Amino acid sequence: MTQLIQSLIDALSGGAVLGLAALGIGLVFGVVRLANFAHGELITASAYTLAFTWHLGWFVAVPLSIVSAVLLALLMEITTFSRLRTAGPATLLIASFGLSFLLQRVYELAFGNNVRTAPVAPALARSVEIGGLRIQLLSVTAVVVAVVLLVGLRLFLTRTTMGLQVQAAAADFTTARIVGVRAGRVIGVSFVLSAVLAAAVAFVLMAQTGAVNPTFGVSITILALVGAVIGGIDRLSGALAGGFLVGFASSMLSSWLPQSVVAFRDSYVFAAVILVLLLRPSGLFVTRATTERT
Amino acid sequence: MSTASGSPDPGAGLRVRDLRVSYRGVPAVRGVDLDVGAGEAVGLIGPNGAGKTSTMLAVMGVVRASGEVSVDGRAILGQAPERIVRHGVALVPEGRQIFGGLSVRDNLRLGGVGRRERAGYDEDLAWVRALFPILDEFADRQAGLLSGGQQQQLAIARALMSRPRVLLLDEPSLGLSPAAVDIVFDALREICRRGTAVLVVEQRAEFTVEFCDRTHVLHEGLLTLRLGRQDAHDADLLTRAYFGS
Repeated sequence: MTQLIQSLIDALSGGAVLGLAALGIGLVFGVVRLANFAHGELITASAYTLAFTWHLGWFVAVPLSIVSAVLLALLMEITTFSRLRTAGPATLLIASFGLSFLLQRVYELAFGNNVRTAPVAPALARSVEIGGLRIQLLSVTAVVVAVVLLVGLRLFLTRTTMGLQVQAAAADFTTARIVGVRAGRVIGVSFVLSAVLAAAVAFVLMAQTGAVNPTFGVSITILALVGAVIGGIDRLSGALAGGFLVGFASSMLSSWLPQSVVAFRDSYVFAAVILVLLLRPSGLFVTRATTERT
Repeated sequence: MSTASGSPDPGAGLRVRDLRVSYRGVPAVRGVDLDVGAGEAVGLIGPNGAGKTSTMLAVMGVVRASGEVSVDGRAILGQAPERIVRHGVALVPEGRQIFGGLSVRDNLRLGGVGRRERAGYDEDLAWVRALFPILDEFADRQAGLLSGGQQQQLAIARALMSRPRVLLLDEPSLGLSPAAVDIVFDALREICRRGTAVLVVEQRAEFTVEFCDRTHVLHEGLLTLRLGRQDAHDADLLTRAYFGS
């Protein structure tokens, strides 16, 4: 029983991190119809910034890591995606693949192929014992960070005019422009929000592993994309829920699969994904009423 | 009736000259001239595929077009829709296109995004609430849960929140009950009285000709006829105008 509760707590943490990554991807997809594979490189940029600046103190490193992700996101949008505004989704996806591989090579040239290590937030590696349960502070932190960001994002989207414009653009971009929503500004905001979420993911992952390499953000981005798609990438709540579900399931499988097959964990996850997409092509959390309305 | 587009107040309101729209080389609008003066209601009727919606979308900047389009003398053709809104044009699109996942109140707030200035926002909001009381009653309801007629009222109210000088409506009566049509067109009369130029695309010929100050018949991308209110009950004329025979 204790082991089950502990693995549930770890799974909540894993789900929270992947949920944030999927939400970041879903935010940009909703507005620009771009499944941004290069989202992983935002996570990597943020992680490198943490690794290089952590010795200056968290109050310097964390804001810098957010700034680096935001600047890179805006650079991607300005140099690449804004020039492909009238291109189809396939072109955008291929462009984001290209950008992702290009940035991985840039990281390789700049920082080398080896991992860079830094003790990011070592205090979070400690565990506390509550009622016989050993709970890692990092797991709690991941969930708290996710909840705070989600509440903040929700407040932004529902209480501010700009947030409302992002929602409108995500629901129907053409109509949003017809009512006066400035396309460039809303797209920029969605990239910035996505970058902030990427920075949060980088922080939790760096606190977990303490090491970054040029492909640091790739695997979580693939899982997050998968999560966003099975949840319903068209809707922010769907992307978030899908990401959470995949993260939660991966973590539970890691805890409960026999040692002999645990290395094939992702195969089980992707098999489940294929099954879900066969049964619910629009996503698990997209209702028929929603698809009809949108 | 006459064959010219004509305008009682040239320069004010909406002015369209030689508007042309093509889709992959196939012409949809082939040189349309239109004038809608401040406070006027002008209709655009014609069969499916005549180019009515393309004309609206071209004026709004949603599709590429050539020619000249100006509002109160200021050229707007070729600009992005969000800029055209700020020049004083608002479109109520076909099918209403309200943001169904947002509340009625938030849809109205979004309508205000395209205003050139914040001043007068509260007064305009009070006016559209008075114009469409049902929106006040259902302010917190998810817009997608409203009936078709209520959604059309919301779509018009949302457009009005940008304080347009030119209001474009694409088939506002489509799919509405007779009672809802009356509410919508009573509101359009009031909107005209406030000095807004109104251009209405409709399928219902007799109704449109009777409602509007003048109505143009669009056929295969060309304006073929101009009708006045006196022509509203001339069934033969309307039939010939509509079907181009």
